[in-house]
Amino acid sequence: MKPEFELYDRREFFGVVTKTAAVIGLVAGAKASAEEQGQGTANPFAYDISRFQKTDPKLVAYEEVNRWPIPHKEARRLAIGPNDQIYLCAGNFINCLSQTGQPGVELALAGPACCVAVARDGTIYAGLRDHIEVFDSKGAKTALWESPDPKSWLTGLAAGEKDVFAADAHKLVVLRYDRHGKILGRIGHKNAERNVPGFIVPSPFLDVIIHRDGLLRVNNPGRHRVEAYTFDGDLEGAWGKPTAAIEGFCGCCNPIAITTLADGRIVTCEKGIPRVKIYSASGEFESVVAGAESFPENAHACSDLNDCIHGGIDAAVDSEGHIYILDIVTGDVRVMKRKA
Amino acid sequence: MNLTNGQPPANEPVSRRQFLRNGARLMTMTGLGVAAGALVSRSNGAAYVWQIDPAKCLHCGNCATQCVLEQSAVKCVHAYAVCGYCQLCTGFFAPEPNELTTAAENQLCPTAAIKRTYVEDPYYQYSIDENLCIGCAKCVQGCNRFGNGSLFLQIRHDRCLNCNECAISRTCPGQAFRRVPVDHPYLLKTTSR
Repeated sequence: MKPEFELYDRREFFGVVTKTAAVIGLVAGAKASAEEQGQGTANPFAYDISRFQKTDPKLVAYEEVNRWPIPHKEARRLAIGPNDQIYLCAGNFINCLSQTGQPGVELALAGPACCVAVARDGTIYAGLRDHIEVFDSKGAKTALWESPDPKSWLTGLAAGEKDVFAADAHKLVVLRYDRHGKILGRIGHKNAERNVPGFIVPSPFLDVIIHRDGLLRVNNPGRHRVEAYTFDGDLEGAWGKPTAAIEGFCGCCNPIAITTLADGRIVTCEKGIPRVKIYSASGEFESVVAGAESFPENAHACSDLNDCIHGGIDAAVDSEGHIYILDIVTGDVRVMKRKA
Repeated sequence: MNLTNGQPPANEPVSRRQFLRNGARLMTMTGLGVAAGALVSRSNGAAYVWQIDPAKCLHCGNCATQCVLEQSAVKCVHAYAVCGYCQLCTGFFAPEPNELTTAAENQLCPTAAIKRTYVEDPYYQYSIDENLCIGCAKCVQGCNRFGNGSLFLQIRHDRCLNCNECAISRTCPGQAFRRVPVDHPYLLKTTSR
């Protein structure tokens, strides 16, 4: 039976008194501060991340050399094909564009395009929410791969010589297909025996790329890191630090998208504090492609009064090392070139 | 002294003791009247109570400083069904934590009113200690900016005096305060937005 009175010992008593005094002191101080500053002029309890929204110019290694609008609303992802053509997912379409944004082939899909990848032979793999459609290099549909699961939400694709990898943000797995649509394996699912911790994907941003070292790189946004897997699903390593500071990944879940430069360095995209950065292949922060000040509308989309689900950016790299950044809030593509 | 039926005549001078007794009686009756009036007023007013509409709240910090109570009746509450149970909860951790531990320097809340409890890798549950929460909404801002917005402010009616004119509502820049029926005193979040 619970006693009616519980006596504090001296330590507990002083603890309670100290906490209460601290709370009252804090409120009194804040009230005095508010009165001094006048009502409504300043919030003494503001969640201040302004210092992270300005990038040290010394860290910015790229400059914008071109920008063009995309042809459809509701953009999602972009990829670059073998001839440096840009493939853009927006609405129910995949558009093939030149490096300057001149329109080419347009593929109409049955539903919203979520992700796209282009193989070296020009074959286009379009990820819809729960299945993949395949097109030849001229835009003719050649196959439709069955849905792996009715609840699948494909958000990232990568096409290799013999394999196609699809990141399923809802089922928390990367599916390995052969080039004919047969599922060969499932990568990254939580498995203690294989020391695979599992993907944590609070919002639909799971991405996969094939690295030049022969391993996959997959973002694990809930763990704030990039993970390396073999094609057979063995976890070979991971890197990433959770922090709003420039060298880490901010918010609950970042990075949201990754790509790679020709030399193996990794390009990461973040939302919340929208920014594109470059890391070495082993995860050392190197430089900034574009900081948060480059994406004011995107940053506003993730302010504390707006829904961050509608924010986000994506990036792809062409053969010359130019980085193409898709801002899905403003609906434009920026071409970034490394500063001389 | 002339007595009529045991009572002093009306125009009879009153003794000091009688005066004081009458005065005390009058004050008692007045006090009871005021208390009864307040009770009636409160019971009439209790048909409606003040509450914050989370959809209009701007997280300005006024709730912590403008309430007539020394420690505000406004508290952060948590919609667990909306929460992502994030390892890096931006309502709990400062923007640049040294590491993801409960060490004081890593916490965002100025009074350490949020408790972090391990659930399973990599999920954590966050609960509010209302005795420490001052309703400043700093955690609400962090949760909304990066997370699902599961943390939000509500007036706790076990503390609120239900003032006729709420001092916080007068300064609320979002016009988020409104009267709600006493049988539905809370405006709870059920979805992320």
